[in-house]
Amino acid sequence: MTMYERIEHTADVGLRVEATTLNDLFAEAGRGLFELIVPNVADGRASQTLAIELRSDSLADLLCDWLTELVFLFETQRIVLSRFRVQVDDAAYSLQAQGTGEPLDTSRHRLGYEIKAVTYHELKLERAGNGWRAEVILDI
Amino acid sequence: MPPQPIRVGPLERVDDYCWRLPRTAQPGMRVDGLVFARRDQLEVILADKAVDQVANVAHLPGIQTASLAMPDIHWGYGFCIGGVAAVDAEPGGVISPGGVGYDINCGVRLIRTNLHVADIQPHIKQLVAQLFRDIPTGPGHEGRFRFDAAMLKRLMRHGPRVLVEQGYGLERDIAFTEAGGCLQDAEPEWISERALLRGERQCGTLGGGNHFLEVQTVERIVDPDAAEAMGLKEGMVCVTIHSGSRGLGYQVCQDALHMLRGVPERYGIKLPDRQLACAPIHSEPGQHYLGAMRAAANFAWCNRQMLMHLTREAFAHVLRKPWPTLDMQLVYDVAHNIAKPEQHRVDGASKLVWVHRKGATRAFPPGHPELPDAYRRIGQPVLIPGDMGRASWVLVGQPGSMQRSFGSTCHGAGRAMSRTKAVQAAQGRQIERELAEAGVVARARGWRGLAEEQPAAYKDVDVVVDVVERAGLSKKVARLRPLGVIKG
Repeated sequence: MTMYERIEHTADVGLRVEATTLNDLFAEAGRGLFELIVPNVADGRASQTLAIELRSDSLADLLCDWLTELVFLFETQRIVLSRFRVQVDDAAYSLQAQGTGEPLDTSRHRLGYEIKAVTYHELKLERAGNGWRAEVILDI
Repeated sequence: MPPQPIRVGPLERVDDYCWRLPRTAQPGMRVDGLVFARRDQLEVILADKAVDQVANVAHLPGIQTASLAMPDIHWGYGFCIGGVAAVDAEPGGVISPGGVGYDINCGVRLIRTNLHVADIQPHIKQLVAQLFRDIPTGPGHEGRFRFDAAMLKRLMRHGPRVLVEQGYGLERDIAFTEAGGCLQDAEPEWISERALLRGERQCGTLGGGNHFLEVQTVERIVDPDAAEAMGLKEGMVCVTIHSGSRGLGYQVCQDALHMLRGVPERYGIKLPDRQLACAPIHSEPGQHYLGAMRAAANFAWCNRQMLMHLTREAFAHVLRKPWPTLDMQLVYDVAHNIAKPEQHRVDGASKLVWVHRKGATRAFPPGHPELPDAYRRIGQPVLIPGDMGRASWVLVGQPGSMQRSFGSTCHGAGRAMSRTKAVQAAQGRQIERELAEAGVVARARGWRGLAEEQPAAYKDVDVVVDVVERAGLSKKVARLRPLGVIKG
């Protein structure tokens, strides 16, 4: 059970992500984010892998920092990531991740939202049943 | 028994254009909320969480008089969009990056020309295509200009004056930009490496979301005297640019919110929403944010200056005339996401407050010392973009804004539909063709962008400006009709 869906918001865009493990939840959130930026990201190539390490102040903050880092990488390195492997340390609020993708190619990549930021408004990351659920609202 | 107030949901009627959210609505509110709106707008306004956000803002320490919302109010993050909060500048008051937003100094700039709508009609398709080619829009499209860290810091310290000195505009442009395009005491050295990287290729780019550039015509003059002072005439072609501080500003806000983690708790400040994170104005984190915010605001004015330069060049190219002969003059540039120290009357005395405007426009009345000489008699121009199918408005500030709304008015039409609902409503339709049939040439990066920004997704801007006029906050000068638009 790993999935994400969009949450209704008047002006912006929200994501609700569910997964059995925190690792999958973070990977799925990353995928959801990039599908908002490049809707056909899944059809892309896997020519490049980036390593990302983050440490934060809580699990919810770690999710916010993770998605913020991905927005930053897209904007400054013009890289489009479609697959993620994430190892979350829920005691240290840290993660080690690998994102695989390719440089942005506007002749193939359809462009969706420009995401300004990952907000703290109604930011949630909590246990749900046997897994985890997160909600995050993105400023666009 | 005294008469019971008229209520709609949690709101009590103050008058035909103002509704109160009593401070008893939520524990922890320090002041009432006040929503400027007509009764027939309330159903839409109460449909999302915007009014809850008005209540949340009323929790901020040092907030004066009331947590205010303009008639274009809708659900944002932290503050509602259309929110205004004036906070005591003395110790006890706070500054909140959430009251400014990620897009620091998002704002609007209006340029007039000496062209008549009949002059432009034969060229409008080509003109919109040229603007769409020359002006980067949406994600992943970098600008023509690349500024290194040293230049970015100059822009952040001095604003668009630096660009004008390099030939990207006229001396006159500076005089008609709010604050001369430069907030004093900006601290570019406090801007992070990440913010500099995001801003490197983004000066002169439009961005996405609701940002746009629109070619318009003055459809109707309502106040001939004020219109004349601004050089506006019926049938004249104008351009409205809506953009902000781009990735640089977004990162400044993000950095500030990161810095503020744990800070409200340290000062014993209880907040109902983390996005309202704040710090006492005179504290180190408070001052740090202000220095960085001013720098990002100055960068936003540079961005709009460069967008205007690209617009002037595109007009010149298509019409085969140098732009000075088209008399492409800046009418005004005004911010609608910003916090500024201003003198206002509170409880009968003059007081220095920090006015947070999150999707709200400054609307100083005639005679205000901060206005350029040309507008001191008529009041500050207020630029209200509507939606891309109907209209935009030029207003001027009125004395009521100083009495009721800390010198503020609305900033746009305000969304009425979520993005998802707008897309559902657009299924099977061709928004671009519908707009063309209505006389508007539209170019956007994709179908979805136009669907989400379609006219029906927005409230009726005519109603919004009617409310702020009748509430005494600002006054109608001219209605602008769109001819062509480019979107992210």
